[in-house]
Amino acid sequence: MHAAEMRIVPATQEPGLVCCGGGALFLVSAGGCKVEVFHTQQEECPLICRFSTMGIVHSIVYSQIGDYLVTIEEKNGATYLRAYTNWRYQAAEKKRVGVRLLGHLMRGQALHGTPKEQMEIVEIPLSETPLCTACCSITGALLVACAKSLVLFSLKRQSLNDQLDALDFERLLILYVSGWSPSQVALCGGYVAMQTELEVLVVKLENLEKICASDEEHMQLRGDVMAAAGVTDADGKKEPQSPFESDDYFVFPKHLEMLGDKAKDCGVSLTLEWTGMDTEANDNMGVTYILYRRFAPDFFQGCTVEETRLHSLQLHPMYTGNPDVSSDAENSDPACMFCFFSLPNAGYMYSLKNTVELISAYQYPEKAHQALLCNEFLHVITQNALQCFSVRCSAVAARVEDPYIDTTMKACPPFTMEVSALRIQLFIGLKSLCHDGNHIVLLTAADIETKEETERATRRSIKSKEQNSMAGIFLAVGINPTTSPALESFLSRSFLSKKTSVSKLKEPSESGHGWNLYVISTVSTLQLYREMVEYSKRYEQTSPLSQNYVHLLSEAHLLLRASLLCSPNTDRAKIQEAFQESCAHLGDCFSRLEKRDCHLALPYYKMSGLSVTEVIQRNVAVCRGPAPDYGNGFLFFLKHSLYEETMEELSEETANTVLEIFSKAEPGQLPYVVSSSFMKNANPVCVRVHLEHLELSGAPSVTVSLCKAAQALRLGDLHYYQQQMDRHAEMLQVYGFIEEPKLLVHRRGKAMVPTELARHLRDTQDGLLVAAVVALHENSKVKLEEAELFFQELCKDSAESQSIPQLLVDFWEALLVASSQESIVQELLFHLTSVYIERIMCRERSGIKALKTAEDLINSCSHYGSLFPWLNILTPAQFNITHDHQEDLQKLQSLLCGPTLDVSSIVPLLEQLPDEDNTGLSVHMLCATKLGQHENAIEKLLDRCPHAIVSYANHELRRDKMALWWLKLFPELCERIRLSSGDNGVLLTALKETLAVVAMELNPVEFLNLIPDDGTAHFFLAHLLKCSQKHLLT
Amino acid sequence: MAAKSSLLKVILLGDGGVGKSSLMNRYVSDKFDAHLFHTIGVEFLNKELEVDGRRVTLQIWDTAGQERFRSLRTPFYRGSDCCLLTFGVDDAQSFLNLGHWRKEFAYYADVKEPDSFPFIILGNKIDVVERQVTTEEVQRWCCDNGGHPYFETSAKDATNVAEAFEEAARRVLALEDRQAHVMPSDVVDLRRKPRSSSRCCL
Repeated sequence: MHAAEMRIVPATQEPGLVCCGGGALFLVSAGGCKVEVFHTQQEECPLICRFSTMGIVHSIVYSQIGDYLVTIEEKNGATYLRAYTNWRYQAAEKKRVGVRLLGHLMRGQALHGTPKEQMEIVEIPLSETPLCTACCSITGALLVACAKSLVLFSLKRQSLNDQLDALDFERLLILYVSGWSPSQVALCGGYVAMQTELEVLVVKLENLEKICASDEEHMQLRGDVMAAAGVTDADGKKEPQSPFESDDYFVFPKHLEMLGDKAKDCGVSLTLEWTGMDTEANDNMGVTYILYRRFAPDFFQGCTVEETRLHSLQLHPMYTGNPDVSSDAENSDPACMFCFFSLPNAGYMYSLKNTVELISAYQYPEKAHQALLCNEFLHVITQNALQCFSVRCSAVAARVEDPYIDTTMKACPPFTMEVSALRIQLFIGLKSLCHDGNHIVLLTAADIETKEETERATRRSIKSKEQNSMAGIFLAVGINPTTSPALESFLSRSFLSKKTSVSKLKEPSESGHGWNLYVISTVSTLQLYREMVEYSKRYEQTSPLSQNYVHLLSEAHLLLRASLLCSPNTDRAKIQEAFQESCAHLGDCFSRLEKRDCHLALPYYKMSGLSVTEVIQRNVAVCRGPAPDYGNGFLFFLKHSLYEETMEELSEETANTVLEIFSKAEPGQLPYVVSSSFMKNANPVCVRVHLEHLELSGAPSVTVSLCKAAQALRLGDLHYYQQQMDRHAEMLQVYGFIEEPKLLVHRRGKAMVPTELARHLRDTQDGLLVAAVVALHENSKVKLEEAELFFQELCKDSAESQSIPQLLVDFWEALLVASSQESIVQELLFHLTSVYIERIMCRERSGIKALKTAEDLINSCSHYGSLFPWLNILTPAQFNITHDHQEDLQKLQSLLCGPTLDVSSIVPLLEQLPDEDNTGLSVHMLCATKLGQHENAIEKLLDRCPHAIVSYANHELRRDKMALWWLKLFPELCERIRLSSGDNGVLLTALKETLAVVAMELNPVEFLNLIPDDGTAHFFLAHLLKCSQKHLLT
Repeated sequence: MAAKSSLLKVILLGDGGVGKSSLMNRYVSDKFDAHLFHTIGVEFLNKELEVDGRRVTLQIWDTAGQERFRSLRTPFYRGSDCCLLTFGVDDAQSFLNLGHWRKEFAYYADVKEPDSFPFIILGNKIDVVERQVTTEEVQRWCCDNGGHPYFETSAKDATNVAEAFEEAARRVLALEDRQAHVMPSDVVDLRRKPRSSSRCCL
């Protein structure tokens, strides 16, 4: 169990410096020459090892990547920078420690012979005295700040054997900082943050080419040296950094905040020198300014510089995605990067990625010594208290991770939500704070002069400590315990059942020294979450009008989000469960709100995994009474759930409840509510009563009548049904269906389910049904495929033997008449052509009449053209086929005669249509003609139906095809007549007609040339004469 | 102040194979292994002890004696409080090389006045029967070179080992006391002295 537990580290000497990480706590004894390492994860914090340093340690930093410590040490007046690697081998005491210079490992592995399992110290020579260091939590790289420059080292690992890694560093680059000596630095994933007493600067080291294009002045490349913008001479800052060095007058520096690109004007100039081995990388390096902030001591408030000194600079990366799954998170780019720094009375957290912005500002109730940002909390120590504040990291990260947040699908409390103080624990003489995983390490020490007093006070403090630490005080911001009876009683109640292990250990007062080192396990996320929920409930009960309980629940929600985003966790399933529960709580909160944010009920309930029935029950439960008053959020949720068709079918009882709810709250919604498929279990009598009530209240409408008709069908009351249907004209009823398509069709995923009303209309008013669906399509309520599915589904159990039901063909025809969308028209033409061809081929018919005849269609829309006259000869109206068949043939012919159908697209379909009879022939002839294959058509027609040839020629051989009269038709006719024996009257008639036309078109010479040599003269003479006369006239 | 002087860096220099690592092992772990590998680069061990009522930690630095390890070794001379120049009494050449070692140390450790720096001479392997260097020769050399104390030791049978290291600690403390009382600023001067002037001393 992860109860908030406090343990005392069994250190023997007073620690001077403390740092932790990787499950280990490092103490530098106050003397400064010895490091003791303790397990923080184990019960009694046992000693892991103890080793001596080579000098007095002034600073110590641990890097989890590479598991190394880096120290700034002093020996005999000289300052050294050293990295302690493989320190865990010092567990066996009296082991020899290897020492080498930076770079000496990589150069000659041969020198090293057999690897030894020993601690190795890498000494890192620097030309300047190191002031402070920082390690990158992503790469293990090391940043060292000196008075005039920052030096960046990359971490190199060399695997000596399976278990043993040797570490080394490569001096990658030097960043010269003009006139600025950082007191603290931070490094993370290319971001470099530095801080002086009153200023913070964050820059990003990145590939130069990215910024070159956008800002050339910003960064210039000169050989190996790249100078950043700003003033380049060493002391040339634009404004004096400190007013205190000026003898004659005070210059009060103003507060400044410069975000993103603007920060380059901050006056701190940076010059980058690449020193790495990879010289190509040199060209790709650059510095971008990210953030600059300057504070000024408020002299008028009597503040001194000491009181306005910045501390606790930190860069904090945050990854998204399930950390259990993405194991390579270490190598990938973090989704978010935060920068935190603190003044004694206020802390600031910025988000650096995407847009640079201030996310949270913290106001501490008293002067803070140190602050520490982690994924879930901000820990702050003051002289005598450890305070814990909420953070907005997960709210920022959630939005980076999931684009659906802030939509109707998902929600997350905003990162602008005010931060809260969650907890305060009292300690005496807090000196330093560090953090590792779910542990916080605190060093307390009494000042020398007050030591005795402290020891006397320790007993008292332990008592109050217990009370406070165990109580788990959750304070929503702005709640003053003394003015809030609920909170006060909550605090005094205390979670006294919780035990800490403090009592088991020797108490500080007995050990007789004035210092102590505590390891505090942070309360498990789940436990803290539950306590926050519990408190929010109490608060809601005592002051329901205040919305602080929503704030607290939102905090709890963000806590769980952070836990899901960040820590790989064994009880992930439980946290996920709690997360859903938290969504449900938030859904409840917002469902009861009236205006502001009430729409958030929808996404939160969706994320909660609750069924709509469960949500209804939760809301009904709190709104019992004679006149229940349901919140807007709840109604919003219900409406959306009903309309989005994503919910489950409601039971009769629940459905009736929903009716009641809407009847009271929003009766106007009733037609839509009762039409929902999820409401189909609602009692039809009940529904009718509510609808009649609605009509009586003065809102009669087509939709309501249609709803009532649909309910009458459910009741089997056909009389009532007819009454309702007769109340409005069909045209108006179509509008009714447009208003509520669910009267006709329900969606089940991708399936379209016709309603009982639709089925009834199929059998009684198919024209209305088709018109309604066409109207739905034209009003974008259904897509073409959906309408097709709908009709297929509607007719699937009918007696029709054909694969395409007649009603669907009716729909296609009607839509073709109605639609003006080119793509839809082409699709419909293709569908219809295939259906017509199919029907012509298989002559069986179900006997179901089409809604529209060929004539109707020809008369009502341009896509169906008038039939060409020669078709009447080929397939006369009283042909030897059934009427239906004839209809389909005429529709097909009509489409082919029309201007819209692209014949080439249906050629493949025609291949299956035989041309043995005139039916097929007519269609093939039409196609050939449309495709410009007139000569083929002429031959075919002469072969198969010569008495239609003249009609064909008169209609088709015009304009650019005119020449075919004499080039094709005339020679063909002559040839056939010559070959024919006897009965060639039809051909001769055709020849005469042809000669008549040719004679009018050609000049006499041409005409003469055309006349065959073997013909009888008098047969042609008359035509020659006509030809000549015509020519004379012109 | 007590903390500052409690960690004393003592460095063992001398030809490869004279027994520097063995001396350190004998003193710190009270063990002897006749078949130790060559030391590569630089290693150290800590030993806590009490000298004249004062608790100190001796940080004993063992170095590789072979010429080829010179570049790995020399950067760590800096900051030494005492240098133990070691030779084997069975190896005349190692004795003759003491002067070179002394120079190398003074140069790289940046010692201002090598004459007053606490060197201690160790003649190891006195358990070996065939000596090539006599006690007198060494004492003469010590006298000529600034009066360094000389110890004849055997890491193998533990003769004089602890005495030698304790003397080293004692010398350092004595020197520190002197500096603390007489010239408190001397530490600073030592550090700030430009390298060129130390070269003149050689």
